[in-house]
This record gives sequence, C-alpha cells and structure tokens, in this order.
Amino acid sequence: MAELSNEDIKALGRAVNLDIQEPELTQVAYSLNAILEGMDQIDIPGLNSVEPLPIILPEGSASQ
Amino acid sequence: MNQADIPFLAVTELAGLIEREEITPVDVVEAYLKRIDDVNPRLNAFITVLKEQALEEAASATSEISNGGYLGPLHGIPIGIKDQIHTRGIRTTDASKLREHFVPDADATVVANLKKAGAIVLGKLNMTEFAMGDPITSAFGITHNPWEIGRNPGTSSTGSGAATAACLCATSLGEDTGGSVRGPAANCGLAGIRPSWGRVSRFGVDGASWSFDTIGPISRTVEDCAITLHAIAGYDSSDPYTWNVPVPDYRRALTGDVRGMRVGIVKELMDPEVCGVTNDVRDSVLAAAKTLEGLGAMVSEVSLPLTTIAGVVMRTLTSTERVSLNPDWLRDRPADFHHNTRVAFMTGSLIPSQTYYKAQKARALVRRQVLEAFKEFDVLLQPTNPSPPGIMDLTQGVKSKEQAANALKESNFRGLYSLTGNPALSVCCGFTDGEQPLPLALQIAGRPFDEATVLNVAYAYEQAANITGTHGHPPF
Repeated sequence: MAELSNEDIKALGRAVNLDIQEPELTQVAYSLNAILEGMDQIDIPGLNSVEPLPIILPEGSASQ
Repeated sequence: MNQADIPFLAVTELAGLIEREEITPVDVVEAYLKRIDDVNPRLNAFITVLKEQALEEAASATSEISNGGYLGPLHGIPIGIKDQIHTRGIRTTDASKLREHFVPDADATVVANLKKAGAIVLGKLNMTEFAMGDPITSAFGITHNPWEIGRNPGTSSTGSGAATAACLCATSLGEDTGGSVRGPAANCGLAGIRPSWGRVSRFGVDGASWSFDTIGPISRTVEDCAITLHAIAGYDSSDPYTWNVPVPDYRRALTGDVRGMRVGIVKELMDPEVCGVTNDVRDSVLAAAKTLEGLGAMVSEVSLPLTTIAGVVMRTLTSTERVSLNPDWLRDRPADFHHNTRVAFMTGSLIPSQTYYKAQKARALVRRQVLEAFKEFDVLLQPTNPSPPGIMDLTQGVKSKEQAANALKESNFRGLYSLTGNPALSVCCGFTDGEQPLPLALQIAGRPFDEATVLNVAYAYEQAANITGTHGHPPF
C-alpha cells in the first residue's frame, strides 16, 4: 500500500472542509498511514461476506 | 477513630461504621476534603471539588441515618465522578477548553442512581481531553500517578484512578471506550470493571465513541467495585442501548469459590514476540493464574489469533466515531483543542468510509472468535497492559509512523473487549521490583452480562493473593 503524502493529507482535509497545516500535517500523516497500513494488512478469509457489527447486541450473554 | 485514617478505609469498612453510627457521613466527607486539600495539589486529580455541596449532602445523610433511614452500603460514601459525566448544576468539562463553561441541567442516569443509593458526589475528576488516550491533553493540567509522580496514571480516566488510589475519594466512576476504566485501574493498583456494553446507561455522558462507551467503577477493592457497579447497572429508557437484562446482586456473588471454573489464558497476549508484553507483567499474570489454580480453577491456554488485530480495528472505529461528538469544533475552534487531540480528531476525520466499514466487519469476526472461546471457558485472563506504568512524555505530537503503529499494537490488550462488548475487569496482580514499586495488572473477561462471574474470580484472586494488602497505599 502506498503511503499518503502530506499533499494527499491536505487534499483529503479539503474534501471534508479541514485546512490541515504544519505542525499537524506531518503528524496526521503518521497516524493515518499507521491506521491504513494496519487495516490493509488484515486479510481474514471470509471477511468480505461478513455482516458488519455497528453495535453490540446482547447475544451470547450468560443469561441465554 | 482518628479523622485522618478515614480516607484509607474501603467502602465496605466505611459503610459498616456509618450503618452502626460509629462515624457520620459528615465525619467522612470532612476527612476526605481535608485529604484533598493536602494531596490534590500534587496529583491534580480533581477539576472541581464540591466542598459546600458535599458537606450539605453529608449533613442530610447523617440526619437520614440517625432517623433510621439507612439506604445501604453507599449511603454517605464520597464518590468522585469523571468530568465527562453530567452533574446537574455542576460544570462538566470533558477536560477541554471547549467545554469549560458547560453546566448540565440534569444528572446523568448513573449519577442519579448513585444519589438514590445515598452516595455523595465529592467532585469532578480530571481526565484526558474528550477521553482521548493521551495522558497530557487535559486543559486543566496533567494528572500524576500517586505511585510515582511523572508516571502515567492510566487513560483516559486519569483522575478517577489517581484520586481513588490516593484515597481522595472512596470509589469513583470512569468511562471506558478503548480501556479507560481498566487502564487507570491497572496503572494505579486498583480494581476497575468495564461492564458489558448495554449494561449501564450512558444517558448524560458525553460520548467518546458511541458504539464503545461504557461507564464503570474504579475502586480500591473488588468488593467496592461490585457495590458501585450494582448501584449504576440496569435498563434505562433514556438510553436506547441499555438492555433489559436482570442485574444480579454483585456483592452477593462474591463467594470466592472458583472450584471447577474453566479459566483460559489468552496465548497471544502473553507472548512478548507477538504483543510486546514485558517479563514482569507476564510473570505476574502467570502467578495469578497459578493462584486461581490453587483455589480449584481449571486453567489452560487458549489461542485467539484475531487478538492481534484488535487494536487497529478498535482505533479505526473509535477514531472515526469520536469526531462525531461535535465535528464543527474542529473547523470553528481548532486552537481550543490540545495539539494532540487536534491531530487525533483530524486523523479520525480522514479515515475512508470503506476502511471504517472493513473494521466493522473485522469487529464481527473478532467477537465471534471471543464468544466461541466462552463456550469452553468461564473467564479469560490476560494482562491489562503490556508493561508497567510508563513515564509520561510531556512533548507534544506524534513523532513517527512507527510510534503511531506501536500505539495501535498496545491497544490490543484492552481494545479486545471494547470491540466485543464483553465485561472485563482489571485487578492488581503484583508490583515491579525497585525503589518505588509500580503496580502490575491482570485482566479478567467474561461472557456478555456475566459481570458477576468476572467479579467473583477477581475477588477470589484478590483475597488469596492479598497483593494490595502487602503493598498498602501509594506513598502519599
């Protein structure tokens, strides 16, 4: 996965109406690239066919 | 009893003395206020101390009790509340300049429940700004670890940990998104439980990340933790995501009997190569498992390979969700954030929707794996943190991508149960060697809504090991 450059970060910021400048810019790049790289490395068989879990329902509870 | 000794008593001890009218709530509150005056300037655990209000409430409680109206073990007990939890007429700041003048017009349900049980709110506790995981971000100054000034007291409920450990309140409430009850409990040598998601109302709590947030007690003993949790747990029609699951009497569940209980040690979180756990933490958790085995529990190893992605998945979700508390602040008042919070919120604003969605899918698989393990085990054990409390880095900013990646990896330990919604408790399981011993912590997780078993296993261990009894209180 290619790392996002500071220019990429600036452009992404503009897309959500955020003006990101130094000293935040480089640090946002570090943080976002770490997250994206970590998520990109997740390759679990069957992941694509799993339904997402937006909230935790009380399944599997001790009372069931 | 000497007034100066009162703050060092457990809730259970104080409650006995109050019930028998050997001391009054006024005696108790005065003793705590005196200790806050003496110690808080060095720790900075409180943002707001409610001196007059607490004394008035203590006088009312004293009168009620003398008239035969004793309510139970929290009646007249001084409690500290994290400053993310609304208190009627008392400012609630989230430790941020953006909220420094916010005064709620209603109590959070958890605060109302504690007041119904007779507890006295002593003050609002410091925290990290908007419950971020960085110890230096509070607009009201850094909170120190009472075991050693300069050490991280655990985030984000920094004041809840420091104040409870230093005996500035009898018990406290924290809020746990990615580990913010368990972290301070671990770093300050306390017991703290993140309840099941949906067990405790979040009404009147400023959200950090809505699908993760839970309110939990941080206390000096497991029994105090059980008493405090019992007062706040249960369905609340004001929070659509509390579940109508019966609340057992957690204190009664503390039998200390763990014979035949199936205890799994999570392999990946005990492996220095995989998750970076230090030898002293690892050894203390293994010794705790041995103690439980000696009490009749059946201990064995369990592999949860998806543990190794818990941190990044949890941070992807929480980083995105936390911005939604009020996205306009980042555009309208960016300078009012602490630099580190600003960077974190900006990062959360840029996470692509498909990455967030992938994290939600991974969350489902992680939860499935953990629930599967609970078909074989009653509780799971692992360290709360990979290492003892570290020295706080007072310089601002993210220094490198590697540093950011390491923080994600460290989140595997507490993030796992934040992701899955299981109850998880941290209890002190030893101290480091050295001139100033620092606490080490064991994390015990259970099936959803089975806080009773989690608390009982922790209680059995605490009673058998007597770790805190050996080391006493922090050097204050």
